[in-house]
Amino acid sequence: MVNNILSSKSPVKLLEKSITGGLGPGNLGVFASRKGVGKTACLVQIALNRLFDGQPIIHVSYASRVDYIIAWYEEMFKHLATSENLQQVMEMHDEIIRRRVIMNFQQAGMKTEQVLKGLEALLVQGSFPARTIIVDGFNFYLPASTDVKLFKQFALDRQLEFWFSCSLRGDDPLVDERGIPYVLKDYLDSFDIIFTLENEKDRVRVNLVKDHDLLSLKKLNLELDPQTLLLAKA
Amino acid sequence: MDSTLTKMRNIGISAHIDSGKTTLTERILYYCKKIHRMHEVKGKEGGGATMDFMELEKERGITISSATTHVRWNDHSINIIDTPGHVDFTIEVERSLRVLDGAILVLCSVGGVQSQTLTVDKQLKRYKVPILAFINKLDRIGANPFKVKEQMTDKLGRQAALMQIPIGLEDNFQGVVDLVSLKAVYFDGPNGETVRQEEIPPELRDEARRYREQLLDMVSLTSDELAEAILEDKVTPEILHKAIRQATIRREFTPIFIGSAYRNKGIQPLLDGVVNYLPHPGQVENIALDLDRNQQPVALTADPELPCVAYAFKLEEGPYGQLTYVRIYQGSIKKGDELFNTRSRQKFKVGRLIRMHADHMEDIIGAIAGDIIALFGVDFASGDTICSPGLNYTLTSIYVPEPVISLAIEPVDKTSSDRLSRTLSRFTKEDPTFRTYLDPESRQTIIQGMGELHLDVYIERMKREYRVEVITGQPQVAYREAITARADFDYIHKKQTGGAGQFARVSGYLEPFEGSYEFVNEVKGGHIPREFIPSCDKGFQASLKKGQLIGSPIIGIRAVLTDGQFHPVDSSDLAFQLAAQGAFKQAYKKAKPHLLEPIMKVVVETPSEYSGHVFASLNQRRGIIISSVETGVYSTIEAEVPLSEMFGYSTVLRSMTQGKAEFTMEFLKYARVPQSLAEELIEKHRQKIEEEKR
Repeated sequence: MVNNILSSKSPVKLLEKSITGGLGPGNLGVFASRKGVGKTACLVQIALNRLFDGQPIIHVSYASRVDYIIAWYEEMFKHLATSENLQQVMEMHDEIIRRRVIMNFQQAGMKTEQVLKGLEALLVQGSFPARTIIVDGFNFYLPASTDVKLFKQFALDRQLEFWFSCSLRGDDPLVDERGIPYVLKDYLDSFDIIFTLENEKDRVRVNLVKDHDLLSLKKLNLELDPQTLLLAKA
Repeated sequence: MDSTLTKMRNIGISAHIDSGKTTLTERILYYCKKIHRMHEVKGKEGGGATMDFMELEKERGITISSATTHVRWNDHSINIIDTPGHVDFTIEVERSLRVLDGAILVLCSVGGVQSQTLTVDKQLKRYKVPILAFINKLDRIGANPFKVKEQMTDKLGRQAALMQIPIGLEDNFQGVVDLVSLKAVYFDGPNGETVRQEEIPPELRDEARRYREQLLDMVSLTSDELAEAILEDKVTPEILHKAIRQATIRREFTPIFIGSAYRNKGIQPLLDGVVNYLPHPGQVENIALDLDRNQQPVALTADPELPCVAYAFKLEEGPYGQLTYVRIYQGSIKKGDELFNTRSRQKFKVGRLIRMHADHMEDIIGAIAGDIIALFGVDFASGDTICSPGLNYTLTSIYVPEPVISLAIEPVDKTSSDRLSRTLSRFTKEDPTFRTYLDPESRQTIIQGMGELHLDVYIERMKREYRVEVITGQPQVAYREAITARADFDYIHKKQTGGAGQFARVSGYLEPFEGSYEFVNEVKGGHIPREFIPSCDKGFQASLKKGQLIGSPIIGIRAVLTDGQFHPVDSSDLAFQLAAQGAFKQAYKKAKPHLLEPIMKVVVETPSEYSGHVFASLNQRRGIIISSVETGVYSTIEAEVPLSEMFGYSTVLRSMTQGKAEFTMEFLKYARVPQSLAEELIEKHRQKIEEEKR
C-alpha cells in the first residue's frame, strides 16, 4: 500500500486544509476560472492526492476523448513525483491507476440524470468504492440549477464528495465584489466550497471565496507553477 | 510503364464485424458481373454470400477465412481480398494486409467508429496501407454519416473528408451527391445496376457547396497545384482527382464514400474510387531481405522482366488439394517455370496456375508482378518466399503473436485419431498463431491459439471439413514464470567414474530482465574455453522451457556467467550444458520466482442500461475498469482482465444484455498472479506431479 505518500506539507494538502474541515461527504466544491488557467490541473491534483491515500476516485468528463484525460493524469503524476521526490514511481503508478475510473459523457446535451445513472451503475452494481467524484467540463451557463440540485442530492444520498470545474466566460468583471463568479450565484446554496483561480501578472493565485457557510474572499498562499501547473506555496 | 500494371489494384475490405462488409463484397462482385444473383449474408435464401464459403461462417454470419477474388471494373483488374473482422482472427487480417496495396475501411453509419474499427485501423496504419472509407448502412434508422466523418478525425486521427453527401437518409435514402462532379447520382433498376446522373436537388445545393469546400480545403493542403487552381478558381475534376489520388496514396488524406450495400446504393462510385484513388502495385514500395548478403534490404521492382520474387500468404485446402495464394512482387510466374522456396530450400516446377473467384477458379498461363494468383500442388507454409533460382530473398516475415490459450483435445474414435495429425498440420501451416504439440506427460494433444473463439473455430472446422471429432478439455491459460531478485550460482557437474568422464563448473548469477532472455558472458582468463560458452547459453535456454513453480516457460531473465572451470579431457559441450542446467536449478528458487498471467484488454460495447451489469461482471472477473465512454445510448467500457477469468464471457455477456452487447479482447501484457491464486496453482501443479508419479 502507498498510504499517505504525499507529505502533509505538500501544497495540495495545504489547499484542502485551507477549507474549514475539508470538503466532506455530501458536499460539492468547485474551481472557477477562465479557460486555460488551470482548473483541470487542480482537479487532477486533488484526485491524485486521494489516489495516493489509497482512496478510489471517479473522474467524470464531458470531453471528446478519454486519452486527453489520461494524459493529464500522467503529466501531473510525473510532475508531482518529481516535486515530492517519490520513490518507486512505476509500482506506485500502476497501483494508483487501478483505483481510478474515467467516465466520459460524450454528448454536449447529455442529461445529468444519465450521468448519475452511469455513476450509480459503477458505484453500486460495479461495487466500485469511490467516495470522491471529479466532474470536469460541466457547463454552468446553461440553466442548470436542477442539475446541480440533482448532483447535490446524489452526493447527500450516497455520502460522496464532488469536485467540479467551472469555466468562466464573457467580459470582465466575471466576479462580484466578494469574488464570487456571477455565473455561480444561482447555485450558491448547492456549492459548499468555491475556489477561483486568478491571473495576477504572470502567476495564477488561488482564492477561497466560499468556505461552507462563510462567504468572504480569502487569498490563499498558494499559486500554480506556470510551467507544471502544480500547486505551490506562493 | 506497363499499362497492365497501372491497371491493377489489390485491395482488401476491412471492417468492424457486422458493418456489412460481406454484403458490400457481394455487391462489388455483382456489379463487376462475376455473379449473377445476389445473396444476403444470413442465408435467408439458404445461399449465403459468395465470399463466405466456409460452412461455419455461413452459420455464424461472419467471415473467418480470407479468399481472394479477381474482378474487372472500368478496364482495370482488381483483386479483392476478403478479410475477417473478428479480433481473434487478426493474424488472418494482418497476413492479408501484407499483400494489399490499398483497402476499403467499412464503417457503419449508425455505430460509427467502434472499438474494433480502432484495431483494424491500427493494423492498416502498421502496414502503411492507403485507404478509402465507405460509410455503409445509410438506410438504417439513426444513420449519420457526418457524425462518423467527425469520428474518423477525432478517434482515428485521419485527415478525412466526404466525397459525397447523402440525398435523404434512413428510409428516405435515395442516392448521393458527388462532390467532385457536383452531380446527383441515383441507382436504378431492380438491383441498382443503372447509374443515373442528375442535377443536384435545389434544397441540397448549399450543403453540397459547403462540403465541397471542406473537401477542397483539406486536399489543397497536400497539393500546391490544387491550391493554385482554387485561388484562380480553375478547379477541374481532373486536377481534383489527381490531387486526391496523390494525397490518398501518400496516406495524407482519406476520401470517404457513402451508401448502402444492402439497398444497392453507392457501390459503383466506390469502385470508381478504388480505380481512381488507390495505388497500383508499382506505386507501393516493397522490400525483401537478401539472405546471401546478411539480410540486407533490397527494393523490389514490379517489372515482369526481372527475376521473380513472390510471397505465399495463404493456404487453403480445397476439394482438389492444397491451394497456395501467392502475391508476385517482382518478375512473373508462368506454367512450367522452375522456382525456389527460400525457406524449405527446395526447387519446384509451377504446375497449375489459378485465378480465383470466391467459389470457382479459372486456369491461367501466367501472371506478372503485382498480381495475386493461386498455385496448385505445391507444398508451402504460409509466409514462404518464392524466388527465381539464383535469388535468395525473404520478404519480411509477418509479426506473429504468441498464443495465450491452450486446449487439450482427444479424438473420439480410431478414424478421427488417424486423421487428426494431418488435419492439425494443415491448420498450423495455414495459421501461424495456431500451434499444436504433444504433451509428453499427459500424452495429450494440445492446441494453442489466440482466444477461445479462435480455437472453437478450429474444433468446428475439424468436424465439418475433415470429419475429425474430438473431446476437448478445459481451456488453459498460458502462464509464465519470472524471477524477482538476483541470485548467485556456483555449480560443478562431475561424472568421472569409469568410461569417458564429464566435468564442468560454472558460476555467475541470474537476475530479472526487461526482455524475455539474455545471456551475458563475463568469463575472463579462459577459465571456460570459448567453444563451451555457447554450450552454457544452450543449457540455460533449455532450463527456461519449464519453470519450477508450475512448469510454465520462464521469461524476463538474464543469465550472467562470470567464472568457471574445465578439465582438459573430461569437459565437453554436453558437460557444460548440464552444468548450466544444474546452476539454473540451484539459483532459480533463490531468485524469488513468481507467476505471471496474460492480461487482456477487454472492450465491451453495451446499451447504457446494462452498463451496471457489465461493470459488475468485469469486477467479478478481477478486472480493472479503465474507462467508460457514454454516447447517450451506448456505453463503451474498457477494462483490463486476466484471461483466465474470461472463459465463457461471451455467453455471460449475451444472456446479461439480451444479446445486445458485444466485446473484443486482445492480449495486453503479462502481470503478476495474486498471491493466493498463485499458491493454488502451485499446489495443483504439485498434486498433478504426484499423481503422475504414482
